[in-house]
Amino acid sequence: MAFAESQNPLRVRRIPQSRYIDAVRWLSPVSPSDRFAAIAYFDAETNSPSIEIAYVDPNPQSSSPTLTLQSSWTSPSRISSLKTAHSTPQPLLAAATFSGSLHILASDLINGGVMESEATVSELGFHSGPVSAVDLREGGTECVSVGEDGRVNLVSFVGDSSNLSYRRIFDAKGLVGYTAVKWASPSEFATGGYGFGIQWWDQRTPGGPVLQFKGNWCQGKTSGIVHSIDIHPSRKHTCLAGGSSGTVFAWDRRAAQQPIVLSGAETGEAPNSLLSESEVWEVQYDRYTRRSNISNISSTRILPVMICSEDGILAVIEQGEEPLELLAEPCAINSFDIDQQNPSNVICSLEWESLAILTRS
Amino acid sequence: MPGVSSDSARGALVPLSPESPGAAVYPLRHGLKSPISRLSISWSRGNSLRVSLFAAPSSDGSVNDGDGGKVVEVKLGGGDGEISEAHWRRIAYGSVSPFALLQSRKNAVFSLSKMSMTSSPYDGDWWDYIMEYSKDINALLVNQKSASVPVLDDPKSVITKGEEPTSLKAAWELLEMFYAEKPSHSWLPERLVDWLADYDSLFSGTHPTVHSKLVDFQKELVNLQVVEDDPKYWEVVSSALAVGWLNIVVKMLRLHGSYRLDQLSNRETENGLVEAVAVLISKMPRMRLEQEAGKLGECYKAKPDFVKAWEKWRGQINKLDSSAFWFQCAHQQTREGLRSMLQIMLGNANSLCSATYNWIELYISHFLYMRPLTVGLESMYSLAQKSIQLKPMASAHRLMGLIIGILGENTEVVLAECLKGFGPWMVAHAIELLTAGSDHAEMLLHEERQNLGGISIEELHRLVYAQVLSSFPLTWQIAPIYLMSCMKHGMVLLQILLSKQPVQDNQLLLKSIEICRLYELHSVTSNIMKIAGVHHWKHGRKGSGVFWLQQARDEYRLNRIALQLFDSVGKTISDESFKQWEGLIQLLGSDSKTAGGLEFLHKYRDFKKSLRQIHNGKATDSARQAVESLISLMKNPSTPQRFWLPLLYDSLKLLNWKERPLLNVSQTNLLLNKLQELSMARLRPDFFESELPPQALNSVRLALGTNLGRAILEE
Repeated sequence: MAFAESQNPLRVRRIPQSRYIDAVRWLSPVSPSDRFAAIAYFDAETNSPSIEIAYVDPNPQSSSPTLTLQSSWTSPSRISSLKTAHSTPQPLLAAATFSGSLHILASDLINGGVMESEATVSELGFHSGPVSAVDLREGGTECVSVGEDGRVNLVSFVGDSSNLSYRRIFDAKGLVGYTAVKWASPSEFATGGYGFGIQWWDQRTPGGPVLQFKGNWCQGKTSGIVHSIDIHPSRKHTCLAGGSSGTVFAWDRRAAQQPIVLSGAETGEAPNSLLSESEVWEVQYDRYTRRSNISNISSTRILPVMICSEDGILAVIEQGEEPLELLAEPCAINSFDIDQQNPSNVICSLEWESLAILTRS
Repeated sequence: MPGVSSDSARGALVPLSPESPGAAVYPLRHGLKSPISRLSISWSRGNSLRVSLFAAPSSDGSVNDGDGGKVVEVKLGGGDGEISEAHWRRIAYGSVSPFALLQSRKNAVFSLSKMSMTSSPYDGDWWDYIMEYSKDINALLVNQKSASVPVLDDPKSVITKGEEPTSLKAAWELLEMFYAEKPSHSWLPERLVDWLADYDSLFSGTHPTVHSKLVDFQKELVNLQVVEDDPKYWEVVSSALAVGWLNIVVKMLRLHGSYRLDQLSNRETENGLVEAVAVLISKMPRMRLEQEAGKLGECYKAKPDFVKAWEKWRGQINKLDSSAFWFQCAHQQTREGLRSMLQIMLGNANSLCSATYNWIELYISHFLYMRPLTVGLESMYSLAQKSIQLKPMASAHRLMGLIIGILGENTEVVLAECLKGFGPWMVAHAIELLTAGSDHAEMLLHEERQNLGGISIEELHRLVYAQVLSSFPLTWQIAPIYLMSCMKHGMVLLQILLSKQPVQDNQLLLKSIEICRLYELHSVTSNIMKIAGVHHWKHGRKGSGVFWLQQARDEYRLNRIALQLFDSVGKTISDESFKQWEGLIQLLGSDSKTAGGLEFLHKYRDFKKSLRQIHNGKATDSARQAVESLISLMKNPSTPQRFWLPLLYDSLKLLNWKERPLLNVSQTNLLLNKLQELSMARLRPDFFESELPPQALNSVRLALGTNLGRAILEE
């Protein structure tokens, strides 16, 4: 396994937070020099969940504190999923909770980052039980939420109403549970769930998923849950998914039911390519690459992928190559986010109540 | 709790002292107006109690605000005022890796020594490992609030404020210097001098200290024009000298008025004397390994060199003391002050005693000026006893108790002081240092004790610490590391801990399962999965429930829930709800072993699919497939009887296929037999009547009869 330190310099700053971190995201900046992050905290001592906006000092060498709190919003329940989207004039946040509500927040980054709740859906019947995943469409007018209750809801907002309306796209009545969701285009999105299954939805074709990927390629040995999905804007035919047993795979919708396994216990490849055997909590395409342009990579090849796992690994996987390990922590890495504007910056949340900020150069 | 000993009369593992201090009464604000009729107390998370108060119903039957009841959480013991809860957790997280590393190294060293049959397993790299462990832990105890370092050196600032010291760090450093540093006790006195310089301020809260006097004087210094006229100045300088803070002493001496340019000419002798004392102080010989850059004093590593320098230095002091220049010094305070300083340097017992404020300071001053060559814990202990006699204390600071325990070479006292003063974290981690070099301590702490239920003291304290970790939702995940280092009860307690974790949230559930995987606790894994499966099933998340039960390979429960599922299948697998079922059926997979009785659903789906394709007009091929599915369903023993009639009724179209009979004779006979069986079963009381039109049975029978005729003709 390759270690990053030997190949390219990597600066890691670990910042203890004294609170559990449920989720962490970069906020798209208003000006190029800004770096803001949204962090979903849970204070176990007082039992209070909150979302806070913090200014991140971009200079790793500076002596000033790395994180400076800008504003805070108290959530009615713990955050189960947090997404951010670029939007004018302010970046938007979508936060889903364990009590089954959804909150759209806007943060005024120019005037001290004051965060306001723009809108909330918390009525009974939106979701029964926790919302397991939410995704905000780029541009920020629509939001899709899924839960283990089998409901897929589409929330649209125009900005002035404080109570959102939502539309039920599908209700599997608990027969199927969804654990991950990601927009692919203004009308299409993908969901993931139990048994490594992925569903492809198109709002233009209502009544259920358009395509389903059966996750039974493990031949009944062990199956798992998809925790996270990513779709690259230039490769909409491919869904990237990460889940149980260190499994990271891609499903090319054009190639029916055969997955492209990037990492995982069931690959049957040489054991040294096994990056992790535990849960892969999050996957994202890694836009930070020193290689030539993405367009030069053949369209059948999977683009570089960053993953984080329960056994404390943060790594970049490229198809057919040794994975590049960026962090190997003694505790779980529960979530991470790559800065879209400056992909050399990565922020991740660690199980032991701390954040780590990586700067690749 | 760790296992209870067979002797139930003395069954308590952590003995409660009967002479505990009198009960304290704390008022509880609950805001209930009516009198309380009932009270219930239970443990909440961590150190909190949940007190539920039920108010008595008001007598006149009216309902007022504040009636009913209230639940209040009461946090017990504010913890250590010095270290916040969050900081404790940070220490707990940070100590996991050093602890685990040391355990694995210990195991490696131990198994190596078993192989090579050498007498002592602990040599070579052993002390490096221990020291590395101690340093790693020590680094965690640094207070996070970083001190601001002044850019400009203020000449009037005699005492600099570094990081806020904590008793915990002070205690750990004591243990480190006595147990972890490769035993070379000749440096110990000087190490203690440094230790007091760092931590003297900790005693200020309960005892008068040199540090607090210095801080007080620092405040007055700003307003003082002529320092040497102030008796306090000389007092403070002598005290600082007595405990060996040479840099501070020299800096303070240089504040003396005779250094001022306008006075230098008429106070020449006086200035010469002050400077002579300052130079002597800065040349004090110290017997130590190394000296921090910028610190005054000259250090000697070898004893003979030191003794020579020490004698020479004392000779110089004596010479200065008896010099004639003192008579030419006009300023009385300066003369007396300087000469009393010389007495301290010469080791005058009375001067030392009056310059120090508590026994530890006195003790340190003895090391510095009277017995710099003290070696061995025994003589250090007797010197400590003597100091305590000279400066008895009303109340003991927790660090003082620890020092006495260490010097007295009493492992039990040291452990007790650690537990009392610093809590279970300290004991669990300090034991590693205590047992590092002492065979006696190792035997004492590793011996299995009957009164502890057959476990050793070491295991007991690890178990206690693991319990503390387990009680808090954020730290329970690190408890397994400590439990696994407990030979006797660790595994069982780990299984209990894992089985108690909540299963509602997938993320937490998977974290528990991951720990099971690490320690190969497969039975616990499948138990947790079963619990999760049933939980999800009960809450209507059928898909999640089936998934977890499948993962647990729980045939029994899968079959049971299959029966429940069938109830709803008969009603709801209609064309419009097909998509909802599709996902669940897909999850079941084609492998019937993990699907239990649910295998039926899979086949039923195939059957329905081909039937639908007939409706869509794809004629004979689909019809043939449908017939095959129908026959295999009817043949399969896992198909519940109650589905026979609905299946056949659904297939009426196949039975009455226009072009040619789709079922051959034997197939038709099979179906007819099933139908007969069904008619018989209808007479039984437990028969499950399907919601089909009453003529269904007859129309199926008719269709089968017709088909049989056509099939015979064809053959």
